[in-house]
Amino acid sequence: MTFPGEKRRFVGQLLDEVFDGLYGYAMVLCRDRTEAEDLVQETCFRAVKAVESLQPGSNARSWLFTILRNIWLNQVRQRRTAPQIVELDVDESTLGLAVEASKDPHALYVSKVERDQVRQAIQQLPEEFREIIVLREYEELSYQEIAILLDCPAGTVMSRLGRARSKLRSLLSDTLRTPDRRAKGATE
Amino acid sequence: MSHCDERSTDILLYLDNTLTGERLEDFCAHLAGCSNCRERLLEELALTSLLRETRPLYLAPQALRDRVAAAAAQQAFAASRPSDRSRETRVEKWTRWLRDVTPPVFGWKPLVAMTLVLTLSLVFIPGTVQRVRANNFVEAATEIHRNYLDGNLPLQCRSRSPEVVTDWFAGKTPFHFQLPISQSVPESKALYWLTGARLVSYKGNAAALVAYETPTEKISLLVASSKSVAVAGGEELPSGGLTFHYRSGANFEVITWTNHGLAYALVASVTGSPQHSCLVCHQNMANRNLVEH
Repeated sequence: MTFPGEKRRFVGQLLDEVFDGLYGYAMVLCRDRTEAEDLVQETCFRAVKAVESLQPGSNARSWLFTILRNIWLNQVRQRRTAPQIVELDVDESTLGLAVEASKDPHALYVSKVERDQVRQAIQQLPEEFREIIVLREYEELSYQEIAILLDCPAGTVMSRLGRARSKLRSLLSDTLRTPDRRAKGATE
Repeated sequence: MSHCDERSTDILLYLDNTLTGERLEDFCAHLAGCSNCRERLLEELALTSLLRETRPLYLAPQALRDRVAAAAAQQAFAASRPSDRSRETRVEKWTRWLRDVTPPVFGWKPLVAMTLVLTLSLVFIPGTVQRVRANNFVEAATEIHRNYLDGNLPLQCRSRSPEVVTDWFAGKTPFHFQLPISQSVPESKALYWLTGARLVSYKGNAAALVAYETPTEKISLLVASSKSVAVAGGEELPSGGLTFHYRSGANFEVITWTNHGLAYALVASVTGSPQHSCLVCHQNMANRNLVEH
């Protein structure tokens, strides 16, 4: 995505880099593909519109996630009801793109199965756990960045992450207990 | 809370490689004597490994990327438009020029035909095409022009001869394309000259980039199949049965139009005269004097 003007070009590049991350965050918040797409689209519009307010040296990635979260919170408030859990309709054609092309068919299959299992497990978590897992484990935001984004102390972020991981371990226990998986984890 | 539960934070810090010093030694000593924590650490390591291997968790659909790119570009152009007064002046200039060059004796169709006369039988050669990520035509044309100015898109064919450039495109684009074969203009009187061409990619298909120069600026003409192009927006300037779309961004002016299955984007610097870029098509024409006003 390219935009005229230095700041807009910067935001364009940033959006390119973080686009999947924004969509992933939107998916775990909304649990609905159409809503997630609308949320990402609105986030991008707001970001481009508000680009002049972005101060040099500020954390632009966190800024984008904050915009997305604020839009989503406003939507939830407007609806005045918690979002319904809906059956995820994931485009299968996009799944393979996340897997290295060099993997053999069995490895591709295992990756796809594992990704499906992880997605399902994450979507079963409470909202506050879902978003903290995505922000920390997938987007690698620091505890401090997450604390600012979620407007809570960094200690709360750590304890919440610990509980979220614990719940996730429990949901993924069968996958995690396979000898291959444990060996992979131990060697990393 | 058990004694081991208090180690949760240590485990997280250990996973992040941020557990150091005395606290790390203490944690390791605890691990040595606690099978529960060892087991938990192994599971946490396995979880971390699994989560890393499933990155990204979701991939945004390409259609969403395209939609956002197109809309954001439109928004950005709107935001970077000059003031109404300045914009009106430039639009008036263009409109006046378009009116001037559309006398009954020499309508727009022949003019456009000259830009369009770029009709060749060409084929797509994917290996030689530089991929341009932009999806919006105006955005792509601007980005290509910027890259051309920055030297990132060197010309693959350098020639002042339309015939040579036309021959060079043969077999390289999926549409018929031919540069106007100009009547010879003495170099000293030329207001612009052709400098060459190259292939670029637009939405995965080969597109033609034709480069021109005036004594003060570079002008580029992007030509793509109109099947993959939506030409719309900007200031609409209808003339001769065609509609020209004029946009002025932060640094460039872009005019787009479609005709006979091809889409065109003419890009020039905002500082340059719009008439100069139009002379690309009209230098050799009978009504050149109208353009030079």
